[in-house]
Amino acid sequence: MTNAFTVSGLTKTYPDFVLDQVSFSVPSGSIVGLIGENGAGKSTTINAALGLIQKEAGQVSVLGREGLDGDTKEEIGVVFDGSNYPEILSPRKLDGVMRNIYRSWDETAYFRLLKQFSLPPDKPIKRFSKGMKMKLAISAALSHHSKLLILDEATSGLDPVIRDDILDMLLDFVQEEDHSILVSSHITSDLEKIADYIVFIHEGKVVFSKPKDELVEQYGIIKCGAAQFDALDKADIIVYRKMDYEWQVLVADREKMQKKYPKAMVVPATIDEIMLLYVKGEK
Amino acid sequence: MKGVLLKDLYIAKSNILVTVVSLVVLGFGLSFLLETSALLVLAPVASTTAVFISITSDAASKWNKNVITMPVSRGQIIGEKFVFYILLAVLGLVTALIPCLILGALGVDVTLHSLCLYGSIGISATLLAGGISLPCAYLFDPEKSQIVFMMSFMASTGIIVGIVLLTNLFLPVKENILLAFNIVLAISALWFFISYRVAVKVYQKRDII
Repeated sequence: MTNAFTVSGLTKTYPDFVLDQVSFSVPSGSIVGLIGENGAGKSTTINAALGLIQKEAGQVSVLGREGLDGDTKEEIGVVFDGSNYPEILSPRKLDGVMRNIYRSWDETAYFRLLKQFSLPPDKPIKRFSKGMKMKLAISAALSHHSKLLILDEATSGLDPVIRDDILDMLLDFVQEEDHSILVSSHITSDLEKIADYIVFIHEGKVVFSKPKDELVEQYGIIKCGAAQFDALDKADIIVYRKMDYEWQVLVADREKMQKKYPKAMVVPATIDEIMLLYVKGEK
Repeated sequence: MKGVLLKDLYIAKSNILVTVVSLVVLGFGLSFLLETSALLVLAPVASTTAVFISITSDAASKWNKNVITMPVSRGQIIGEKFVFYILLAVLGLVTALIPCLILGALGVDVTLHSLCLYGSIGISATLLAGGISLPCAYLFDPEKSQIVFMMSFMASTGIIVGIVLLTNLFLPVKENILLAFNIVLAISALWFFISYRVAVKVYQKRDII
């Protein structure tokens, strides 16, 4: 399987934060969710990979090409959180701007998407709701035959209905086998619905990069008391967290653990719980 | 670059219209008080404010971040702002010529010499000010760059006086006033070009967040 997007050893140092040797890939035809708490380094990773900030080390490969030249940028669509375009413009004026920026701009596709999402072409963007602005940004990102979509916290602050519409758009996009998506979000429930792979970043480092199904179907949490916790084989523990009345232990193979510890309660782990245990738990 | 320029024209449209109307009205108004062609000094400078409106708008709407991900180089982004600045200055100059030419046709004393002289001073001041303020707009945050923008016009006046005094050392300015201000114009154009190259270099390494 080829990769649509690869970052390798990406490093950026700030006085109070270090993005430390971040490496992961987005296989062609897949959706990769970049998760992590606020300030974990998701946006810094995307900004460094897109050349918005100067990286100190590391390589970026996009659609099989090293770096980001004009031709490569023609084939990627990027959507950031919040406003993406000058709000004085209307979608129709934006069409005029984009037509003169992207050689591959597809006006017909753009207006079809506007119609599909009930976005008025002549209304100034400043009078759009946050959800409408996001739909417009995604419509523009999809209107120049992009093969790779990169969304940075694009669904943050949107209501569940709009988020669901956007997730449907993303799923539609990735139906083409050479289309891929990297989506960063701290709303892990969204990623559980659409992502094929999850990359978890914590304190500027990649903690894991795994297929989502492996996380959801194999990972588990042992909920136990102190005595039961002491009896656990420490090699089975990924991380653990002491709660008020119980211990929560993250394990990589819940069925195996259930057999090994028949008296323990082993429950499936959501991505949210896995993330919380990694962030707040101990090793 | 064409798309980015179009975006700036959309943003600055209302501001440009107000500037054009104001300059025409001011031109006719000035004719009662002083030489109408003196408007050519003010017009190019006044009309370039729209560039800074577009720079502030780019930052507020995060367009400056979004555009980096598009097939537009950082050099083109900066180049477009400098081209936009010159276009607005020329538009201001042409607009100011309208009342001058109309009043000239009506018999008011408007000479080619005064048009060239004041036009030269106006464009020189605009190029010098832009050469200071445009790179600074990408070095500092929007609030600071607005202060630099205002100060750059004062600075440009001082620089023009300085160049004229220097020119006077080897060329009597009073007898060759148009030539002296054409020298100022040539130096200003060179300054603006150097400033563009510096701004491109600065922006290449700047983190956009």
